[in-house]
This record gives sequence, C-alpha cells and structure tokens, in this order.
Amino acid sequence: MAESYVKPGNQEKGWNDPPQFSYGLQTQAQGVQKRNFLNKRVPPPQLDGSQVSLPSGAPLPAKPLSPTLPLAPPPSTVVLPARRLSAVDSTALSASTHTECEASIEDVMGLLDWALTACRTTVKRQVCDEVGKRLTLFQEMWISGKLSSPVKKRMYYLAQELKKQNWDSADETHRSLIVDYVNEVSQWMVGVKRLIAETRNLPTEVLNAEGPSPKEDTTQNTQ
Amino acid sequence: MATYQEFIQQNEDRDGVRFSWNVWPSSRLEATRMVVPLSCLFTPMKERPDLPPVQYEPVLCSRPTCKAVLNPLCQVDYRAKLWACNFCFQRNQFPPAYAGISEGNQPAELMPQFSTIEYIVQRGPQTPLIFLYVVDICLEEEDLQALKESLQMSLSLLPPNALVGLITFGRMVQVHELSCEGISKSYVFRGTKDLSAKQIQEMLGLTKPAAPVQQGRPAQPQDRSVSSRFLQPVHKIDMNLTDLLGELQRDPWPVPQGKRPLRSTGIALSIAVGLLEGTLPNTGARVMLFTGGPPTQGPGMVVGDELKTPIRSWHDIEKDNAKHLKKATKYYEALASRSAVNGHCIDIYACALDQTGLLEMKCCSNLTGGHIVMGDSFNTSLFKQTFQRVFTKDYNGEFRMAFGGELEVKTSRELKISGAIGPCVSLNAKGPCVSETELGLGGTSQWKICGINQFTTLGMYFEVVNQHNAPVPQGGRGAIQFITQYQHSSTQKRIRVTTVARNWADAQSQIQHIEAAFDQEAAAVLMARLGVFRAESEEGPDVLRWLDRQLIRLCQKFGQFHKDDPNSFRLSESFSLYPQFMFHLRRSPFLQVFNNSPDESSYYRHHFVRQDLTQSLIMIQPILYSYSFYGPPEPVLLDSSSILPDRILLMDTFFQLVIYHGETIAQWRKAGYQEMAEYENFKQLLQAPLDDAQEILQTRFPMPRYVDTEHGGSQARFLLSKVNPSQTHNNLYAWGQETGAPILTDDVSLQVFMDHLKKLAVSSAS
Repeated sequence: MAESYVKPGNQEKGWNDPPQFSYGLQTQAQGVQKRNFLNKRVPPPQLDGSQVSLPSGAPLPAKPLSPTLPLAPPPSTVVLPARRLSAVDSTALSASTHTECEASIEDVMGLLDWALTACRTTVKRQVCDEVGKRLTLFQEMWISGKLSSPVKKRMYYLAQELKKQNWDSADETHRSLIVDYVNEVSQWMVGVKRLIAETRNLPTEVLNAEGPSPKEDTTQNTQ
Repeated sequence: MATYQEFIQQNEDRDGVRFSWNVWPSSRLEATRMVVPLSCLFTPMKERPDLPPVQYEPVLCSRPTCKAVLNPLCQVDYRAKLWACNFCFQRNQFPPAYAGISEGNQPAELMPQFSTIEYIVQRGPQTPLIFLYVVDICLEEEDLQALKESLQMSLSLLPPNALVGLITFGRMVQVHELSCEGISKSYVFRGTKDLSAKQIQEMLGLTKPAAPVQQGRPAQPQDRSVSSRFLQPVHKIDMNLTDLLGELQRDPWPVPQGKRPLRSTGIALSIAVGLLEGTLPNTGARVMLFTGGPPTQGPGMVVGDELKTPIRSWHDIEKDNAKHLKKATKYYEALASRSAVNGHCIDIYACALDQTGLLEMKCCSNLTGGHIVMGDSFNTSLFKQTFQRVFTKDYNGEFRMAFGGELEVKTSRELKISGAIGPCVSLNAKGPCVSETELGLGGTSQWKICGINQFTTLGMYFEVVNQHNAPVPQGGRGAIQFITQYQHSSTQKRIRVTTVARNWADAQSQIQHIEAAFDQEAAAVLMARLGVFRAESEEGPDVLRWLDRQLIRLCQKFGQFHKDDPNSFRLSESFSLYPQFMFHLRRSPFLQVFNNSPDESSYYRHHFVRQDLTQSLIMIQPILYSYSFYGPPEPVLLDSSSILPDRILLMDTFFQLVIYHGETIAQWRKAGYQEMAEYENFKQLLQAPLDDAQEILQTRFPMPRYVDTEHGGSQARFLLSKVNPSQTHNNLYAWGQETGAPILTDDVSLQVFMDHLKKLAVSSAS
C-alpha cells in the first residue's frame, strides 16, 4: 500500500523544479514499457513542391489593444473530443486522504515488538539493541505528535504485513515511507528495514510460535 | 515509405539497431559519395521483455582471428553437425552438447527471431556491486540536510548485498571506516597533495605486510577482506551508516568573506578511484560524487577561492583566459582513464546555482558511462527524484544498471569499423575488422562501457572497403555482429549477441533502392554525434561549416532539380525531414554555446551522446503538441505560427517540459473560469497537457525541468527560443495576416535557411 500523489517542486530552491511524485506513482510508471506517445512531428511545407505563399504587401492590421472590451468566455459545450493522449487519470491523483489513523501506537508497537523478540533468539544482541533503540524513537515521535497521519497509517500497515510474513510487501512499504517522508522517518526507518530483513530470515518455528494478534494488548508480550 | 518505416521500427525493437542506410552501397567510392557514412545507433542492452536469456555459453567460430558467435546467418549441416561461419567461412564442428539438433530441433541461436540473444555464463565468483559515496560537505545547511536525507534514503534502494562506502571532503578528505562498533573512525588526507594509488592504499592500511614474493608470479590483487573496513555490505552496515550520515556536519573550516569554500574534489576522487583500484578491480562499482560547488584546492581545481575571480565562461576560454582549464582537464582525464581500465564508473551529481566544474570533470562520466546530474540545489525535486531513478527496477524487479560492458564488433569482409561515439573507451583491439579511417573512437574493434543500462546507445561508424567495380559480394548481404559482455545487476555475467545483415546494392544502377532505404532520423542523430564529437576539439564555426557542407552535398546528390533553378528543387520522402533536423541542430545547445555556460554545454552534450534515437531526436528538434477546444491534441510545426492565443502548447526538449498558455487561455485562467461548473471543459483543457507531461516526468532520466508559462511570461522564452522564427520583427510587416507570435531575433528562419540551401544545392558553381 503506497499512496499516489503529486506535489509541486521546490520553486524557492530550483527554478522550474518539476513536481514530486510519490513512490507509488513512480514505481507504477517504471515497470511499464516506455510508450512515448508524444513523438510525432509535422514536416515543413517547403519541400513537397508547394511554396509557402508570400502574402502581398498589405500592411499588418494593428494588434488589438489589451481588452477594454470584456473578455468573451470560453466555450461551455459539454460534448468534448478526447482531451489527452496519455492514459493518465488525474482524478486518481487526489491528495492523500487526511483521515486520522485508526490504529494506536500500542497496536503498531505490539506487532513490531513481537518481531524484535523473535529476532533476539538468533540475531546478535547488538543488532537487536540497535533496532530496539530506533523503534523506541519511532514510538516517541508518534506519541509526541511528530509523525503525520499517512506515516502512521502506513506504519500500521507495514507492521501487519510483517506479522503476516508478507516480507516483500512490508519491505516495499518501508521503501515508500523513506522515499515519500524521509524527513520524518530517516532517523528510525533503517531500524524497521533491518527488522524486516532479520525477521524474514528467522527459522519458521520461531515465526510461527505464539505471538500477539494485531489488536492484542502488548503487556502480554513481555518475555 | 510505409514498409521501410515498419522494417526499420521492427529492427530497432528487436535488435536495438538503427542504420543510416538500410541498403548498402557496394563500393567504397560510392559509399563516400553518399555523404552520410554507413553507420548505426546501437543500444547493446535494448530492453527485451520477451527475450528470456539462455543458460549456456555461446558457441564460437574456431578461427582464432574470428571467434564470431554462432548466429541465424550461419549455414548449418545438420547431419554432419557442422556450421559455417558467415564472417570468415570457416567450417566448425558443433560441440557435443549439440548432438541432438536438426532442422526441426534448432537451438535458439540459429532461429531468425533470435537475431538478438542473451547468454548467462557461469564464470568465476560472483562479486557484489559497490557504491562509493564521495560527498562534499561545503554545503549550505539546508542543502546538506537534504543531501544527507537522500543518501540515507538510498540505502533502502541499494541492492541488499551491495558494498557501500563513504568519503567526505571539504578542505580535507576523510575516508570513513565503517564498522558496527560504537566509535566511528576515519582517515584524513590533506586536500592539496596528490598521492599514487599505492600510497593511498598504504596509508589506509590496505596493503598486507610484505609477503615472500614468489619468483615470476605477477602481483595478486589484494585480498578483498582488507578493504572491508571501508566497504561493507549494506544489509550489515545500514544502521550505522545511517547514523554516520545523519551526524555529518558542514565543513568546519570557516569561509572568510569574499571567498569560496576550499573544496578538494580532485583529491577526493583520486582517493576513491585508488581505494577501489587496488582491491577490487574489474567488479561493478559506482563512485558517486555529490558536489555543491567548484573544486577550489589541490590538483583538479577549477577556480581559486577568491569570489571576485569568476569561474571561466566560454568567452574566457575563447580568449585563452581560463588558467586552470588545461591542467584540471588533464587531471580528471587521467583519473577517468584509470577508472575505466578498472571497470568502475563515476557519477557526478552537481547541485549549485553557479558552475561546479563539469567542463573539466565531465570525462569522469563520459569515459566510464557514469551519470551527470545537474541541479540548482540538493533540496529540489529534480535532484531527489533523479537520484531515486538511478535505482529503478524494470518489469522483472531487477535493477536497470549494469556494469563492465565490453562491446566487440565483427563485420563481414567488405566492411570495416571506423569508430564509436558514446560513453565508452577504446580497448585498442586491432584486427581485420578495424579500418584505418577513424570516426569517433577508432583504431579498435572493442570498447568498454563501465556503466551501462537499457538506454545506453552508441553511434557506430563503418567503412565499406569493397573496391569500385568489384562484383557485388556473393549472397548479396553484408553482416555485422555486436557481442556485449557485461555484469548484470544481479552480479551474473551475461553476453548479449546481436547479428544483423543488410543487402548490398550497386549505387550506379540501384540508387533508388538505396535512397528508399535511407533512415533520415538515424542519419540526423549519427551526423549530430559526429558534429558534437568534432566540437570538442574544433572551433564552433568550423563545425557548423562542416555540417552545412555535408547537408549541401547530400542535397546535391539526392535532390531532384534543374541546374541553377532553386524552385525546381525536390527531395524524396525519405529525405524530407533531414534538412529541418539539420536546421534545428545548428541552433541547438549542442553546437551553439552562446547563452549557455561551459558546464551547461558539457551537460547537454553528455546526455546527447548516450541516448537512444527517439530521445536524441527530441533533443535536436523538440516535440510540440497543441491543445484546443477544436479537437484532440495534435503535433504542430515547431514554428512561431503555432503560437496562437486560444491554444495550449506542450513542448518537450528532453531537458525541459514547457506548457505554454496562449494569450486568451491565460486570460481565461486568470479570470478563474476553470473554477466554474459550467466551464468544466476549460478545466479539462487546462489539465490535459499536464496529464500528458506527467508520464514523461515520471520516467525520464534525468528528470526534466518543468515550465508552466503563458503569453508574455518571462519563462515563455524557452518556447520562443526553440521555435522556428518564421515571423520576426524583421519580416513582420511583410506578412498579410497575423498568425502566430513574432519572435524578436536575428536568427535565420527555416524558410530562409531552405532558400539558401536550395540555391547552393542547384548551383553549378558549388
């Protein structure tokens, strides 16, 4: 799950900075073979024998002044020929919905902690501690309101995918988060990345051992 | 001709090849009279989703001076299990594994639809890819923060088993030891003193203590493990490196008023190249240089640290007033050559408002196939997204980047290779296929492209060597084979073989066949590459004169006309667009340096000589589409007459996407009609070019600038400078009717250009 949105570029820092596409939009576009539909040219009339007719020397009519006349409105008929060449549907590009995230931090941390605990059985202690430090930072940022709603929602989704052992999906979600929201997540996301990588390598018996279901109270999860 | 268009397109889709001529003149003399050399654009790793690679080694011709790969053009005796090489006619025995082949059971490489085929070969250990970040820390706080975040983000995009390293530089150069222990260490080098690769390796502790030297044995490359302090697998080091990047501070040396920061780019690159050279030669690696300003210290400096001395402009260079230019260029060329020999590519990501020295440093990327990305700041969408796209994956989920490309070309005996133009170096491989005439990088039949991807395209130039009046060669077809070995992003070694053939024709009696098979688009791009290649060493006006001369000669040869009667001049359809391409090429930033800085010219040329045909053509002659209420979007003449008040124009120059709103459209937009429900169609009209632009914006590398402008807007100049100025302030009053917007310029228009061309072509004095 990744969002599809387009934000304007940074016009302050770069003249004519192009718009910023979300990770979801970019990956979607790049898998597809390049189609290049904007590729036609019109040959000039000079070489097929027809001369460009040079007009007689009638003087140019004076250019109309900026309107003192009222501006005629555009045509308002409803019937339209095809407007665009691409298949891009701009209606899909609404800004990400700003509904609040329903999950609580406890829900998310419950799932992440489950994974971290499972890792502690085989993964080096130092690595687990480093991951733990970053998860704590994530938790603190959530609680103190420093994370935006889309980040929270996607993290919940990521945690669920992790529990369901959908490793690639969890990994893609982490990537979409670090690409789209790098300034919110850069300090701790690498811990989540590592958690996914280490958890997926765990032996299956460890993974399938009892763990909390998504909505369970985390206090039951302590070793 | 419709059929030739299809033939040309099919061949490009299948083999990644576009020839200037698709029927070949059979004698050397006639070939030179064609004006446009027999040449092709070749994309070695053309994307072929329908081509599964085969998992065995290619079968080679046994003649030591040939070694061509078995291909569909070879004659096969299925009973005797023999095949005849189509290049040298040697008869070869099939290897034992082919014992079961027959007419009904052909191996893939003999089937005509596999004129392009890819082999996966299992040779030697699979070495991981390497990404060595070389980061300028003399940046403004905001820029540095944005760059740090992009680098942290990139750790999630790298192949997980790749090795990664970090060098930072400012006044000093720091090589960071990457370890999982708490304390981060680094080795600091002075930014002023150049060191040899050996010295660098010694100082980094990468050379083992003196081992007993064995008599007669060559020195082994260092054990990979000794460099592991500086290059670690991403999956192990990601957390520590993220922290290390997060902690990077701006260069602590204060920059006095009126001065530039002291930036030791030259030494930093030298250390990067040296670090990889000794320990990991010939494995896929990218040195990625991120810089926010020009090198101001040490070897390779481009400008001094006094702000009152500006960085060289074209004017300075013409007046021989660029005192660091020669020395710096030579320095970076030496580094680039070393890197190319090692199979490592160098990328340059340069983000600054002023020039950063791309003119001097460009060889680092041009010789090695690395990228150059030029932006205003690291805190822009253009940099961030372009950088993300370095790591894009294809439809199979595999990275688009590949390494260590080595291209070898074989030709049938009537042809020889004159050279190649593109992001490569010569491997100096002599042989029977090599021509004495050089065009581009010649004197070889093999080139190396250290950094290569599915769009990398070389221009290859050939010479017909058959003597005049020698009979048309038996079988009537000439053949060329392209063999490209490379390291796939999955670290597998692969070999891609493309074998193509075209008919010979006697130019005296069959000139119409040769004419009909002319590919004017390919010819335009191939001639343009020759022009850009010349422009690196010749004066600008000389290059233009050469280009004009070739165009006039082509028109004299292939035009139909009565002597001294310009009005009678005609060109057949297969040549009809060519003069217009040349007109736009002459005005393009590739050959006109006026109005661009030396860095900008270098940047544009860098991208021009590596793109495929479609993108190259866009760069030469931008695409222009018109949007209106009166019908679907349509292509229009790249001409000032296309600029109309009630149209929206979308122009693609490759480097910019310009959306221009005509005067009336702009007034409607300002009045806010798009917000009103009854004018929903106007809202859609405004949105349509944005949607069409979007697909290009989402995929193109590098990401283009995006200009949204209107009649009278200052940014409209991007459109006005590209269109043919058929109406200027000079001829405005000679036109009876105002159609289109006049352009204030003294540039010659296409009409005037064509008039002159016709006069010169038909003149009996030429």
